[in-house]
Amino acid sequence: MYRWFLSLRYLRARKTNLIGIGGLFVGVAALIMILSIMTGFLEETRMSVRGSLSDIVITPFFGTNPSKKVPIDPAKMLAEVRLDPRVAAATAHLVWYCQVTKVGADAQDMVSLLSNSQIGNLTAVQLVGVDIPDEYSATEFKASLERLPLQGAPVDNVEDPFAIPESMQPNGLERGVIVGEKLYSNLNLRRGNRIKFATFVEDPKRSSQWISQSRDYVVVGTFRSKENEMDMSRVYLDRAELVDFLSSPRYFSEVLVKLKDYKRDGEKLRAEWGGSYDPGSPPGSLGAKELVYGHPSEVKTWEQFRHTLLGAIKNERVLMGIMLSLVLLVAGFTVFAILSMMVTEKRRDIGILTALGATPRGVMTSFLMIAFWDALIGALLGAVVGTWGALEIDGIERWLSSTFGVQIFDRNVYLFDTIPSVVEVVPVALIVLGAFVCAILFAAIPAWNAAKLDPLEALRHE
Amino acid sequence: MSKPAQKPAPFARADAMLSARGIRKSFSIGDRTLEILHGVHMDLYRGELLALTGTSGAGKSTLLHILGLLDRPSEGTVTIDGVSAWDLSLAQRAQIRNQKIGFVFQFYHLLPELDAIENVLLPAMIHESRGTFSKRRREHVDHARELLATFGLADRDAHRPSQLSGGERQRVALARALFHDPAILIADEPTGNLDSNTGEKVLDLIFREQERRQLSLLLVTHDERLAARCQRQLVMADGMIELDTAIKMPD
Repeated sequence: MYRWFLSLRYLRARKTNLIGIGGLFVGVAALIMILSIMTGFLEETRMSVRGSLSDIVITPFFGTNPSKKVPIDPAKMLAEVRLDPRVAAATAHLVWYCQVTKVGADAQDMVSLLSNSQIGNLTAVQLVGVDIPDEYSATEFKASLERLPLQGAPVDNVEDPFAIPESMQPNGLERGVIVGEKLYSNLNLRRGNRIKFATFVEDPKRSSQWISQSRDYVVVGTFRSKENEMDMSRVYLDRAELVDFLSSPRYFSEVLVKLKDYKRDGEKLRAEWGGSYDPGSPPGSLGAKELVYGHPSEVKTWEQFRHTLLGAIKNERVLMGIMLSLVLLVAGFTVFAILSMMVTEKRRDIGILTALGATPRGVMTSFLMIAFWDALIGALLGAVVGTWGALEIDGIERWLSSTFGVQIFDRNVYLFDTIPSVVEVVPVALIVLGAFVCAILFAAIPAWNAAKLDPLEALRHE
Repeated sequence: MSKPAQKPAPFARADAMLSARGIRKSFSIGDRTLEILHGVHMDLYRGELLALTGTSGAGKSTLLHILGLLDRPSEGTVTIDGVSAWDLSLAQRAQIRNQKIGFVFQFYHLLPELDAIENVLLPAMIHESRGTFSKRRREHVDHARELLATFGLADRDAHRPSQLSGGERQRVALARALFHDPAILIADEPTGNLDSNTGEKVLDLIFREQERRQLSLLLVTHDERLAARCQRQLVMADGMIELDTAIKMPD
């Protein structure tokens, strides 16, 4: 009983304990806040790393092997994919790389452009042919059209985004394109501007030969994804129009699948669809060729596309956690110092307790319990305040910025405009547990010393 | 280096409460061994009032600590109520200190963070688990109050040691020592730190309780007048019992 009683009494009587409690409090609160913000940042980064990638991307193999049945039209594959009850939506993309140049540019202009070492003038973009409204249900495209532009200009009508408004005087033959807002600002474009796309395609008449192809388009608006790269290099247009421009024999490059529950089904579906490896495909041409509904295809989840980056993010978080745990170590040192001081100070008490029938183990436990109370008060208070701070960090930062007139967090640097913060139960619990372990472990040394103290030595101490 | 043990080694009487046989105690200082006690025999009988005197450095304190189970002898046995105490486990010895021995020290040795009644309750707190103590709390507090009241401290129980006078502190210490109604009371210069008037009052209390409770009281003092008030006196010199007033020594 005296262990409880004495530890609490010492805790109350010795104000220095407040330093230990304070150390643990600050350590735990800071750790929770920093880790939550880190997790928030990483989560945001993860989302921006993902960008516009769909849950699962199926890339059919358009090999030259005549024995392979090449799917031309995506309709059949889409229909089959959509039949799966785990699939929420699916859409097809046709993707092609093009060079952007000014309207009216001829071969001469192209040559001077391509022979210029100043790469700045050379703007390669990715043309993406999409189907509205399938695209809207399967990808983030609609959201990126509706997102408030920072440098661009929104389209007039999201329901029919590629339509050229009357104000831009359409001639009936032209088609509209939507460009990423970074590209829009880099090329100094305005809505209604005409731009030319030039590229090479397979000659439909002579197999294995290239011919160049170019066409003018009207810029009808911009999109803003959460991915810099995309906003800088992507141009969206109607898929049928792109097929026409390229005189393409194939009507799509990939099928994008959105799942009802990616976490639950993503990996399972990928394994199911991509499970049957087609040994007949030519080696090394497009990686693993897998059969999807009879078509040799490559099936990847978005995480596979980004696995290096995602791995790096995970590593970063683990490293960060380890580094930050050192804060707890510092708090542990504080507890150690205070308890060591207290054991020296309480030598006589230890002797008296021994004379009254306390065992060395009891004495040790009494001092360990002081550390336990330190941890209980410090860590729990730290957990509460740290969690609150993490959840309210945006408001706190704004308040600090406005009160002291210094901008702490520059929102323009990132693609998000509030400080992200994700409080997770398990890390918080681990931090609190860590604080306990740290306090008790560090307290063990002075507590052990207290137990080893010769009671006579302690009693003579006057 | 060690001297021969004091002779003769008396047989323990059946009514010995505390017996020591052949107690030697030596300390190592560097590569030298210093022997403080040279084979001490002594008995404290039930209900006896025994004084232990001797000049400082004679080994009184060392013997006292060994008898009080606070220090292990290098050689010899200490028997308390028929049990050889140094053969017991650490916890069992702690138990004996808690239940059978009461200590009163020269410097009171109260815990400064605890008030008077909490100091008196310490033996019970040490003895009992949290559950048992809270169950019997009322009973214990009443007992402690009663003890304090007996010693004239009825209105001082909420005072910290720093708020009490020397005499009051020693009375609190006495109440603490008697809380478990021990068989043995070891008092180490209980009045050494008090003025004679206050010391006299404390002594009266100790003697009164000794008589009332039939305590086996071992009183360590260097005050001859005080020793003379005891039933028997042991005089220590140079690590041995030189004189036992109960044993007739030839002239």
